[in-house]
Amino acid sequence: MHFSDLGVIALILALGFAVYTLVAAVVGAARSSPQLVASARRGALVVTFFLLLASAALVISFLTHDFGVVYVADQSSRSMPWYFVAAAFYSGQEGSLLYWALMLSVFSAIFVVTSRRAPAQLVPYVIATLMAIETFFVLMLITVSSPFVRFPGQPPADGAGLNPLLRDPGMLVHPPTLLMGFMSFSLPYAFAVAAMITGRLDSEWLRSIRRWMLASWCIQTAGLLLGMWWSYHVLGWGGYWEWDPVENSALFPWLTATAFLHSTMVQERRGMLKVWNLGLVIASFALSIFGTFEVRSGLISSVHSFAYSAIGGYFLLFLCIVIVFSLGLFIFRLPRLRPEQEFDSLISREGSFLLNNFLLVGITAATLWGTLFPLISQAFGHLSEEVGAPFYNRVDGPIFAALILAMGIGPLLAWRRTGTHTLWRNLLTPTVIAAACALILPLAGVRDIAANVGFTVCAFTAGAILYELWRGMRVRHSHGEPYPVALVLLIQRYRRRYGGYIVHLGLICLAIGVIGSQVFQQEQDANLKPGQSVTIGDYRLVYFGNTDLTYPDVEIISAQLQVWHDGQLQEYIYPARLFYPNFQNEPASSISITTEGLTDLYVFLADWNGASQASLRIFLNPLVPLIWCGGLLMLLGGIICWWPERRRRRSDVSRETPSVARPAASKQEKPAVASATLASARAGEGGET
Amino acid sequence: MITTKSASSEQQVEDQQPRRRRRKLPLSFLLAGVVILGAVAYLIYANTQSNAAYDLTVSQLFQCKSCLAQDVRVEGTVLKGSIQNKSATQQLSFVISDGSKSLPVVYTGVVPDIFSAGIQVVVEGRYSGQGAFQATTLLTKCPSKFTVATPTP
Repeated sequence: MHFSDLGVIALILALGFAVYTLVAAVVGAARSSPQLVASARRGALVVTFFLLLASAALVISFLTHDFGVVYVADQSSRSMPWYFVAAAFYSGQEGSLLYWALMLSVFSAIFVVTSRRAPAQLVPYVIATLMAIETFFVLMLITVSSPFVRFPGQPPADGAGLNPLLRDPGMLVHPPTLLMGFMSFSLPYAFAVAAMITGRLDSEWLRSIRRWMLASWCIQTAGLLLGMWWSYHVLGWGGYWEWDPVENSALFPWLTATAFLHSTMVQERRGMLKVWNLGLVIASFALSIFGTFEVRSGLISSVHSFAYSAIGGYFLLFLCIVIVFSLGLFIFRLPRLRPEQEFDSLISREGSFLLNNFLLVGITAATLWGTLFPLISQAFGHLSEEVGAPFYNRVDGPIFAALILAMGIGPLLAWRRTGTHTLWRNLLTPTVIAAACALILPLAGVRDIAANVGFTVCAFTAGAILYELWRGMRVRHSHGEPYPVALVLLIQRYRRRYGGYIVHLGLICLAIGVIGSQVFQQEQDANLKPGQSVTIGDYRLVYFGNTDLTYPDVEIISAQLQVWHDGQLQEYIYPARLFYPNFQNEPASSISITTEGLTDLYVFLADWNGASQASLRIFLNPLVPLIWCGGLLMLLGGIICWWPERRRRRSDVSRETPSVARPAASKQEKPAVASATLASARAGEGGET
Repeated sequence: MITTKSASSEQQVEDQQPRRRRRKLPLSFLLAGVVILGAVAYLIYANTQSNAAYDLTVSQLFQCKSCLAQDVRVEGTVLKGSIQNKSATQQLSFVISDGSKSLPVVYTGVVPDIFSAGIQVVVEGRYSGQGAFQATTLLTKCPSKFTVATPTP
């Protein structure tokens, strides 16, 4: 009896319970039998238990170096440190599927445990949908992609080890986050399905789905950022985003989720865009499944591709089922999805949300087109064509600029319609700031027109947001609060509004970083002998020679260089290459990144010859640190938006049923919102959105 | 209605104007939508035209007349013994093949680490119809980022 056998048993039991839970939830809801629904809730927890058991079995197989398991032998070796051995759990296809299934079950369990807050009628159908997805994944794990398959004969004495590129701290955080992000779109989707089945698409449903979508958004944001950071400090090409199909597939659901989080506010306030919102939820889930399918099927070639395997076909089948099923339900429910109100004016908050949605969907469509272009061109001509990074930069760049502009104007608009006078008054300050920026930048040496336009747009929107913040603080300050306290209380009070502003500021920061590093990046290749130096920008690098260090699990060849900046010796750097056993032809790189101010000096050891010759590829990447700061800010803002309201507000109405208690709780704070905003004396300034 | 408070100031605006009969979707929305859609479609169209590069095998390159003198990507395997490195100019020349036809390539720049005879590469650049393919980019196809191969049980 091996741990891997335990894993197989646990998976089979998980499948059995998932199917049972699915049936029990649907039958229980259809016959309105509380016992069956309660049983389904417990069933979902049991599925979680068995998947935890299966995952534990795999992790233990890894940690005990059970190389009889094919997957363990492929992904790990004895010389790897224990944390990479454990992380090898999700490094391959089979393990990442198990990780996905595990996370889905953990999220299902979280949902079941917290489901008292969700609308009761929806709960069984949410569980059923989650379990249907779970069934598919566990079925895949048992049949075509099992991580527990054993060698038929003698097991190898040692494993192949992890791919060198994956032996990086990034491995410990990026894949689990991104996979979790992909998976998490299942929850909003389950809510959408439940709502379509029951026909309950009310504000309570909206609140639940919005919070789950926000959670998905935060996880996916974190996953994307970690991926960018990993790519930047491991791959050695000086960039962080390559528009590779694999990267794009992670961006699609993020874009549609972002669109949903905006348009859902229109539904919340005005009861409009219901069809559109449901479409976005379904699209997010379908795109996350599509992403998994796309990168694993080998349908589109990517420079860093995943292993091609048969599971692509099953994913396509699953994707088709999801789309057909969702569309069927959608058409069935269309009569209930009538808007409660109608659009009044384009120059209104809802108008700007609609614009935002068009732009986000436009970016999604353009990126999808570029990603699928090899297939499209092959279908129409007989030769396959590809579009590279310039295509995405030129298409998505301008749309993003328009999006950032809309981001500045949108929050200044009132719901329904905004008077032109008020609008101009609100726009004056940011416009002045933007104009000043546009004038000063060329004097400061920014002569690139696209960059100037980009920076100016960012300045406009940053100005608009900061001016908003300042006005909010001023109102509170006039009531006797010091400015810092006013800021904290303002954010605490109107989390959604100010959390959103923080996300927007983060995105602007990120955009500035992207523009800076795209337009002003300097690149230099140098082939050096000891004593020779190379100059890039204000930096001069002096090369001394190479060292070769051998450790039990890795051989490190590093070049030694001095960094001089403006005639001052800054420091010594050691860009290096790492050779792992079994991967002698694929050395990983340890790139030296020196950050000074807002500029990264990025030195990659491309090649070397003995101890006294090195080929270096050197980049000067301005403003890249802003990308990471902006990303963190976006994440922070997302978490602020997501963070639950304090329970104190609910406790005084706890005797009522939960479904009544929640709206009551949220209404309680509205007078405070209204008074604060009335105090700021702005026409059409509304609650917290 | 979620809240009535926020509407208080809007209400004034509303009251000043007589309530018009509204269409389901105002013309302004339709126009704005069409403009955005058109702009996005145009951006996609124009940039596809200017940025699309053929993705070819060596044999396809020799057959394709329209591929000459424009940027193309060619995929092939590096032939054994064909790699010549002129370290003075950092110029690299080698021959790639798809099994039936072979194509000489010249390339200047940083060479990927795993570049060696027998591996799959993608070269991007121009081919004039004779002589060597002038590559501006040399990409090696990683066996895979995640797994080497899935052994069949």
